[in-house]
Amino acid sequence: MQTVKMVVSGAVNAGKTEFIKAISEIEVVSTERRATDDTKMIKKETTVAMDFGRIAIADDLVLHLFGTPGQKRFDFMWEILSEGMLGLVILVDSTRPETFRETNRIIDFFVSYRDTPYVIAANKQDRPNAWSPEELRLALRQPPHTKVLPCVASDRESVKNVLLELLYVIQERSEE
Amino acid sequence: MALVGNIRDFGLSDFLYLVDRGYKTGGLHLAYKQETALLFFEKGKLLLAARRPEDQQPDLLVRLGILSASQLAQARASLAARGNGATLTEVIIDESLVSPEQFQGPLQSFNEEAVYGLFGWPEGEFRFEQNQRPAPDAPVVPTPISVDHLIMEGVRRIDEWGRIKDRIPSTDMVVRFLEQPGAKTRGIKLAAEEWRVFARINGRDTLAEIAQKTNISEFDVCRIVYGFLTAGLVDVQKKPKPLPLKPGMAAAEPPRVKRSLVNRIINRIKSM
Repeated sequence: MQTVKMVVSGAVNAGKTEFIKAISEIEVVSTERRATDDTKMIKKETTVAMDFGRIAIADDLVLHLFGTPGQKRFDFMWEILSEGMLGLVILVDSTRPETFRETNRIIDFFVSYRDTPYVIAANKQDRPNAWSPEELRLALRQPPHTKVLPCVASDRESVKNVLLELLYVIQERSEE
Repeated sequence: MALVGNIRDFGLSDFLYLVDRGYKTGGLHLAYKQETALLFFEKGKLLLAARRPEDQQPDLLVRLGILSASQLAQARASLAARGNGATLTEVIIDESLVSPEQFQGPLQSFNEEAVYGLFGWPEGEFRFEQNQRPAPDAPVVPTPISVDHLIMEGVRRIDEWGRIKDRIPSTDMVVRFLEQPGAKTRGIKLAAEEWRVFARINGRDTLAEIAQKTNISEFDVCRIVYGFLTAGLVDVQKKPKPLPLKPGMAAAEPPRVKRSLVNRIINRIKSM
């Protein structure tokens, strides 16, 4: 049995748990604990460890999805998770510009040492005052070739689209 | 739809960059304590910056000595006669009440100073109303003002490490030119010290090394590079360092995957 790994990351409350829940075939394993820091201001229970989801591709192939917390104190986990991952989804809460710097830091971490294939999912596009994907591209200073995709993490079709777009990026770099 | 936030979290220079690169048209409303400001942009360029409500009124042109009171009265009468669609600025230019240079110069300086003052705000709520336009009789500049110039000058006035560190966390970072800064560099005027730093950017040297080679303090190098960065001329990155490799592990490249494997995953996701 071969397993492959994709990582979903983003700032606090970006929608990582919801994103994985929308697509995973198993009940998502979330290690949610009561927040002990300023994340408490944003939601009562925040992801302080990680989420795990799974999609069976075939009898001999499984895709694992890891949702990693965005806080800086979990940097050490990113390093572990980034080893051998196929690609990365960076989730951004499009309604909260105060998280854009944190998002940039996460992108920088994953991408600066390794040329990791990634896409940015502009989550919460169904909310009023959501910044559009193009506005987010400028706010996050991403080059034109980086895919910044509209997303609603609670919507399975939207999540599927983000994963497919990431897979197309990976496909372009794959070998025959 | 409005873009809202706080310049504490998403800085004014970042927002101006977005306006510039996104060719945005609209009104940027800012509020900090008892102060407010309103900036109007058209296709990414500044039309008007008002720190007080009266700075959006046509009387500003008299206060700045651009027009006399009687010239302003004449312009307003012509504007009323022209009806919908015309602006006071167009009327003044069309009727040659003042030369374009005499009009642009003092008004541009006034607007620029208004914006530079905003760079000193440590925080402040902002709301950008897309496609909002100034009133027809508002004193807008005849030639809209380039925003990247405003960013460069505004950032020159920042002297707080805190803000600079948001973008440049350490002096071990390497500065490199963006792939296509081309057209953006033309409108920017650099001071002598900025040129010295600019000329040392080679994609290999760290900020600390540039400071050493130019004999400029690390803080000043960071401040100057922060200006280049916010204007979208350069990028800073951590100096690449090799990851600790396990025995037999190849270099820090992502794993090369077989296309057939990726295709299988794509087909599975599509079928879900």
